[in-house]
Amino acid sequence: MTAILEIRELRKSFDGVHAIDDLSFDVEAGRITGLIGPNGSGKSTTIDCIGGFQSIDGGKVMLAGADITGRATHEIARAGLMRTFQTVRVFERLSLRDNLLIAAQHFDDAQWTDELFRTARYRRAVAAAEARAHELIELVGLSRLIEAEAGILSYGQRKLVALAAALMPASKIVVLDEPVAGVNPTRIREVEEILRKLNSAGQTFLIVEHNVEFIGNLCDRVIVLDQGHKLAEGTAADIQNDPRVLEAYLGMTPEMAATAMQGAA
Amino acid sequence: MAIDPIYIVQLTVNGIVLGLLYALIAVGLALIFGVIEIINFAHGELLMVGAYAMAFALPAVGLLYWPALAVAVIVSAIGGLVIYELFLSRLRTSEFERSVLITLALSIIILHVVQYLFTANPRLVDTQYGFDGVDIGAIRITWTRLIGAGAALVAFALLYVTLKYTQFGRAMRAIAQNREAALMVGIQPRAVARNAIVLATALCGLAGAVLAPIQLVTPSMGQSLIFKAFALVIIGGLGNIPGAIVAAVGLGLMESWIGGFFEIIWQELAVFLVMIVVLLLKPDGLFRREAMRVG
Amino acid sequence: MKTLGVLAVALLCGALPYLTTSNYVIGIAISACIFTVAAAALNIVYGYVGLLSFAQLGFWGIGGYAAALTVMTYGGSFWQGLLWAAILNAAVALVIGYPALRTNRHAFVIVTLAFTLLVTLIARDWVDMTRGPLGIPGLPAPTLFGLEFNTTPRFYWIAWTFAVVALGALYILCSSRIGRTLVAIKQNEPLVRAQGISPMPYKLAAFAISAAVTGVAGGIYAFHLRVIDPLFLDFYYMQTFLIMVIIGGAGSFWGVVLAGMVMAAVPEILRFSADFRMIIYGIILLVAMLAMPNGVAGWLHDRRVERMRAALR
Repeated sequence: MTAILEIRELRKSFDGVHAIDDLSFDVEAGRITGLIGPNGSGKSTTIDCIGGFQSIDGGKVMLAGADITGRATHEIARAGLMRTFQTVRVFERLSLRDNLLIAAQHFDDAQWTDELFRTARYRRAVAAAEARAHELIELVGLSRLIEAEAGILSYGQRKLVALAAALMPASKIVVLDEPVAGVNPTRIREVEEILRKLNSAGQTFLIVEHNVEFIGNLCDRVIVLDQGHKLAEGTAADIQNDPRVLEAYLGMTPEMAATAMQGAA
Repeated sequence: MAIDPIYIVQLTVNGIVLGLLYALIAVGLALIFGVIEIINFAHGELLMVGAYAMAFALPAVGLLYWPALAVAVIVSAIGGLVIYELFLSRLRTSEFERSVLITLALSIIILHVVQYLFTANPRLVDTQYGFDGVDIGAIRITWTRLIGAGAALVAFALLYVTLKYTQFGRAMRAIAQNREAALMVGIQPRAVARNAIVLATALCGLAGAVLAPIQLVTPSMGQSLIFKAFALVIIGGLGNIPGAIVAAVGLGLMESWIGGFFEIIWQELAVFLVMIVVLLLKPDGLFRREAMRVG
Repeated sequence: MKTLGVLAVALLCGALPYLTTSNYVIGIAISACIFTVAAAALNIVYGYVGLLSFAQLGFWGIGGYAAALTVMTYGGSFWQGLLWAAILNAAVALVIGYPALRTNRHAFVIVTLAFTLLVTLIARDWVDMTRGPLGIPGLPAPTLFGLEFNTTPRFYWIAWTFAVVALGALYILCSSRIGRTLVAIKQNEPLVRAQGISPMPYKLAAFAISAAVTGVAGGIYAFHLRVIDPLFLDFYYMQTFLIMVIIGGAGSFWGVVLAGMVMAAVPEILRFSADFRMIIYGIILLVAMLAMPNGVAGWLHDRRVERMRAALR
């Protein structure tokens, strides 16, 4: 399978501290890949570096074969990488509809002159965007709130809006930064369903999460980070039994973990 | 054009004195910005209030310089305190534009009230020192200028000591460096902000009081100075105190030299150009906001 | 429905010279038209992009002087003067805007203030160009195809037409996708970038358009006064525009327009003492920022949001 996102020897330091150290991994097209690791392992920094929100000290990031290392944020988005944020970001004073329409705005080819004269090109672009917005709002279950201002929504609802917005344009990969952190368990199931549905339609995902169960249920492949480098990589099952992972995460040996899991059963 | 070396030295001396006074103003602004992230547009008017206080206090104490100076500084500090408590204490750091407009409104009110009460006529302020001064060779420095420079230097020294060695000063530096962390260890933001404002406006009042005998006192004297002070704070890096001082003395010198040979318009243009160039090259100011490094 | 209402009001305003013969009232209306447009232009930068720009006053001044000089020194027509006011301001805005917009919002305020002060200084001290404090008196009435706009009612047509055209254009801008993008940039710039939009061209465009419109407004006002001097750059004008934007509600198109129309009479009422007028303005600004920082429109919006929030429970 082809790799849609290739990270090669990525390096990033803050004031001499290596947040990311010689990190390399691939994300395969059409798969859901998870990125997990204990606090401070560099997950969010990795995402920020990939997405152009942080400068990169060394290494390469390739998106569908094109080098996007160190490019500006908006260029990376246009190249086909969409992302959500850990601290959920929406346009608080815009309606859900507008929140979604803006996300697609720059991916059509209508210029301001098209809008001024209401050309056919403009009307087509708007119709397509509106249709997709309705589809996605429906998918995340917020149809009745489509005209509401994003600011009045609950935290969990805002995360869904942010997710929908990231999905508006046709993209090569969607990177989700802790999509279910702080979300109540029933919703988490809903989000799993939504992501599975989208993935079966061909959308590639890279998901950063703390919620190991969520990752386990969804991801074809999981990469584990620890202190800025790749600790382990494999299927969810591989990872859950990898002693290095257990030790880094839980400070446990496999025997202790087995006992713990038995206790929980 | 033969350039008289004596003239240059005179210009340099005047420039340094001017620079130190600018520094008094700029440091106050930097301090306030560092602690509560507000650019105090009323700063110039507090300086003017200090100057007027000096102008009125002097005759009342028989033209004695130091008591009048003390009165002026206290009046300005009280003014700053009142402004903070009434208008600024409830603002959050994210409401920057709101703080600008509030202090702007206050600056307008103060200026025009003073103008209404005391007219716009420039006042000549006399002190016990008159126009006497010190002569070093062919260079003359009036006592009022000398004392002014001296007072500024003493004030900076005191400020340094305060910020570095007192708890009160450390709290200010903590808030400027990392507000959240400082709050978490129990530093009271309002108390620190209040202290910073009082300190900053005292410095500003000092500048006004010192300026009163040096140049004519008018209600709009604060306005022309404040624009330069803002430019300094930007060039030095918002919230950076040593940066502000360096920039201020630099500006004083530059103004004095340019003003000695060219028309005033070039001074202002030069300031603006320097500011634009600095911002183009280093959008965060010459010295990054190392959050109120003391030295 | 709303469009019809707006058109009706616009036409009613246009008919003013038929409703009154008082030159005094029509004079106020001329100021109202011009100031409202300037306030709407300020709203683009402050309300929509979210940056407090004191450069507005500088552009107003450049516009006034550009128009005056085109006619008096270079022998052009009033209309050419307005064209130059727009072009010159747009160019200056792009040059100043580029460094200014790259800095943070704190420095932006000061750089724009410095710019305006510089313009004021040039007006006062570059005597060869601007005739300094004496100013340029005796600006002639505009003419068009032989018709001379030398009476107050006639000049009103110019002001009114300008207001309708300028506000119309600004409205189209604000309600377009560009306007929506500007608002989004104000609310959450990182998110905008993550969605493939580079904010800088938008901010620059908004800054330049606002400058050009303000410049034309300034040009027209200078010819209304029939004289221009450095007092044209008095901070009083900046405050007037600011108060209109703040009371109307920064970011609300119609709020600011309404505030502009309503508040136009205030300067006249307060004409008796220059100091007093400024003190009252200062107090209005202060009270507005303390009690109603989002203006009337903002207050109404907050009420609506409260209701929506309650309905969700």
